[in-house]
Amino acid sequence: MAEPVLKFSEVTKRFGDYAAVNGVSFELQPGEFFTLLGPSGCGKSTTLRLAAGLESPDEGEILLNGVPIASPKRGLFVPPDKRRMGMVFQSYAIWPHMTVFENVAFPLRVRGEAAASMRKKVGDALEIVGLTGFEQRGATELSGGQQQRVALARALVYTPTLLLLDEPLSNLDAKLREQMRTELHALQQRLKLTVLYVTHDQTEAMTLSDRIAVVRQGTLEQIGSPVEIYERPATPFVGNFLGRTVTLDGKVRKRGGATEIEIAEQTFRLDENRGDGFAEGAAVRVLSRPEDIEILPPEQSAVNSLKGRVTAVAYLGERFEYTVNVGGYSLLLAASKRQRYAVGAEVCVALDPNHLMLLPLGS
Amino acid sequence: MTTIAIAVPMRGRLNGLRLGEYLLLAFFGLVMGLPILFLLAGSFNVAAPGKEAVLGIANWVRAFTDPGTLNALWMSFLISITHLIPGMLLSIVMAWLIARTDMPGGNLIEFLCWFAYFVPDFPLVLAWILLLDPNFGALNTVAGALAFIEAPLFNPYSFWGIVWVHLSTGGVWFKVMLLTPVFRRLGASLEEAARVSGADAFTTLRRVTIPLLMPMVLAISALSFIRGLESFNTELLLGSPVGIYVYATKIYDYTRHEPSAFGEATALGSVFLFVLVILSYFYRRHLRGKRFTVVTGQGYSTLHVKLGKWRYAAFGGCLLYVVVMMALPLAFLLLGSVMRRYGFFSFKAPFTLAHWQNLFADPLFLVSFKNSLIIAVATAVGSIAIYSTVGYLLASRKARHSAWLEMLCWLPWVVPGILMSLGLLWVFLATPARALLYGSVWGIALALIIKESPVCTQAFKAAFLQLGTDLEEAARVSGASWSYMFRKILLPLVAPIAATVGLLSFGGALTSVGTPVLLYSAQSRPLAILLMEYSFTGEVERAAALGLFMTVAVSVMMLIGRKIGLKLVGA
Repeated sequence: MAEPVLKFSEVTKRFGDYAAVNGVSFELQPGEFFTLLGPSGCGKSTTLRLAAGLESPDEGEILLNGVPIASPKRGLFVPPDKRRMGMVFQSYAIWPHMTVFENVAFPLRVRGEAAASMRKKVGDALEIVGLTGFEQRGATELSGGQQQRVALARALVYTPTLLLLDEPLSNLDAKLREQMRTELHALQQRLKLTVLYVTHDQTEAMTLSDRIAVVRQGTLEQIGSPVEIYERPATPFVGNFLGRTVTLDGKVRKRGGATEIEIAEQTFRLDENRGDGFAEGAAVRVLSRPEDIEILPPEQSAVNSLKGRVTAVAYLGERFEYTVNVGGYSLLLAASKRQRYAVGAEVCVALDPNHLMLLPLGS
Repeated sequence: MTTIAIAVPMRGRLNGLRLGEYLLLAFFGLVMGLPILFLLAGSFNVAAPGKEAVLGIANWVRAFTDPGTLNALWMSFLISITHLIPGMLLSIVMAWLIARTDMPGGNLIEFLCWFAYFVPDFPLVLAWILLLDPNFGALNTVAGALAFIEAPLFNPYSFWGIVWVHLSTGGVWFKVMLLTPVFRRLGASLEEAARVSGADAFTTLRRVTIPLLMPMVLAISALSFIRGLESFNTELLLGSPVGIYVYATKIYDYTRHEPSAFGEATALGSVFLFVLVILSYFYRRHLRGKRFTVVTGQGYSTLHVKLGKWRYAAFGGCLLYVVVMMALPLAFLLLGSVMRRYGFFSFKAPFTLAHWQNLFADPLFLVSFKNSLIIAVATAVGSIAIYSTVGYLLASRKARHSAWLEMLCWLPWVVPGILMSLGLLWVFLATPARALLYGSVWGIALALIIKESPVCTQAFKAAFLQLGTDLEEAARVSGASWSYMFRKILLPLVAPIAATVGLLSFGGALTSVGTPVLLYSAQSRPLAILLMEYSFTGEVERAAALGLFMTVAVSVMMLIGRKIGLKLVGA
């Protein structure tokens, strides 16, 4: 594996007594799109700011291309202007007293770039973001989407070693956000950019990222590809943060070689080996994605299904949403229009044993 | 491994900011804390200034056995509270009319109040003397012409005269300026919710609007009251001649004694300081809980009360107040400056420009003008340089001792100009600073810079807070060093505020009397002191000319400043 572009090892940042970032470790490979995903206030932005050098860590070490750039134990800190990173702020931070050209040219100007090559590079950067011809516009005459592009051009203009994006799409309206997301993805692929991306939006994280780190209260809950994170969440928090989950509490029952889960006097069978590590009678929580649960007529009942009763139906146009009561648990499940059940109908719900998560319930 | 070469030790990096912070703390401690300590210490020193110190409480005993002292303290309170109440009521009505009714010309009235606020008070007091003096006051002459009135009808050299003049200088204008935006920002939805809930207009006013405004009204009242306590100019011109002293003029009086009674002055100052600290403590404590309740409303109110026919009467009333309290005295200042002998219309040629010619030919005027310019420029430049840094430190939350910094910056707001000057005078006399600062224009400029601290600090802090940190950080990540970023990003963006702060300090320095009155010498006399001397020596006409000159100078500057400020903000 190549030398990681950015490496956090056991990095901690405290504000007073509160650890906003608590012993965080991760690595960014060259050309990788890495996303920090989490609710607001979880420390993901602080992590990004630590990478940028806008905050200094209290513990741990941050390395850029293998060279330490912040290391309290060595008393070492590289200020943000010496890190050769590009950053797009949530507010875009377009300097209102400068034109588009001056904004984009700023990183080159501070590095003493010659006028001719500066014009060329600014022109190229503006072309990349589709703003050719806007050079002499005042920064305040731009729409939100255009400001966003200027901010991106400014971050890209001197080919930074690492691109930092702090919720860059969150201030755009829904349609524009979708368009910019697509463009950003294409751009990253084309320029082979290494990106550290911060967002609270799971769709952005899923569609853009090579890998996602889910952040919670200053710690990384899970790092993995979008598929891994979604299909096999390591904790209930991760499962709930990315999409919805359905929760059922039950007890483990060992039947010969197989393991079954007993929920309200019904049981369903797990796949082989899934129940290993759980003792007979142990209390467990079963989590599943609602789309992994199928509603079937009662006669199609199988070993992996439970009986229930429809208590409410909602028509959502493209599909139906059923509330199904299974042994006292209300499950909100979607079903295609081909199936129709009335309120009060007996059904059976089939869980997908491959996409279940089992957690021991606290004693 | 180039990255390592440019890495700096962590502690070293923080030291740059830290150093600035400690320098500022040391500076403020020296120029603000030290005078107050000297004041306290000086009050227990019974020896003359410059002599070996002798500890004793004789100053305190003498200050408090002098019945005039307690009387002066009492008078300060009485005058301040007496003009506060009608002033506050008038301001609330005017602000409400401007912001919440369909009164025509609201913008004009608001602009006039803004303009009137910047008219310096000393010339205005002078103008009221021209209008109300028992011997030559124009209004008394007019009243005397009516057979049934026993002349003189008005007497400005009295308690009520002082209160009246206070209503003309500052008081109301200042409060209208502060209250109008509060009325405007009060969320319309809060009132609309009350109306929809079934409350009529009056109930809404009583149960929603007034309770919401109350904290702000109280805050502004407390602010005005404390400002009223430090008033000096009006009482000096109108009170001293008839033996009405407030504590500020009393202190001035002590320092004028032969032999000078600095000890008593410092004792009196210390007592007052104590009172002020208690007052401002309660004021700030009161503010802390309630400050934000008023301005949380969203959006500007569109709910305008319909006044019907009364809206013209309301406009007429507001305009009349501005005319009587501001235009009339200014007109008489002009008249006074161009009359051969003020009040004598019976002369063959009553009007002359001689006083203006004499004024501009007076070598004293030329020297004072030069002094004033140096002082004002130094004050403006110093204020911008120092308070932009303080404002940045406070806004960026990078200061480790921001509470101390903030406290020191608020100090001159509580400590009246004359008291600060007294303390500074003590410091200048007793330390090596004497050579440079005692009786010099630089000493006066320093005192004025200190005086401007609260307003300037808040202005810059608010500006930097509004800018946020993103613009600054974007520049840093883009590769700009801190100083490059400060020059190219922050400074241009706060330029409108810097211009405003500079002009305010310049204008304040030009017209302040209370601050330089204890610090000037024959070599460093500024225009405002010259004006005071003209007034005392009975040269009414020349004083009127100088007063008008200063008023016009300040007004023109403020208008230019407003224009620049708007342009810079608009750009």
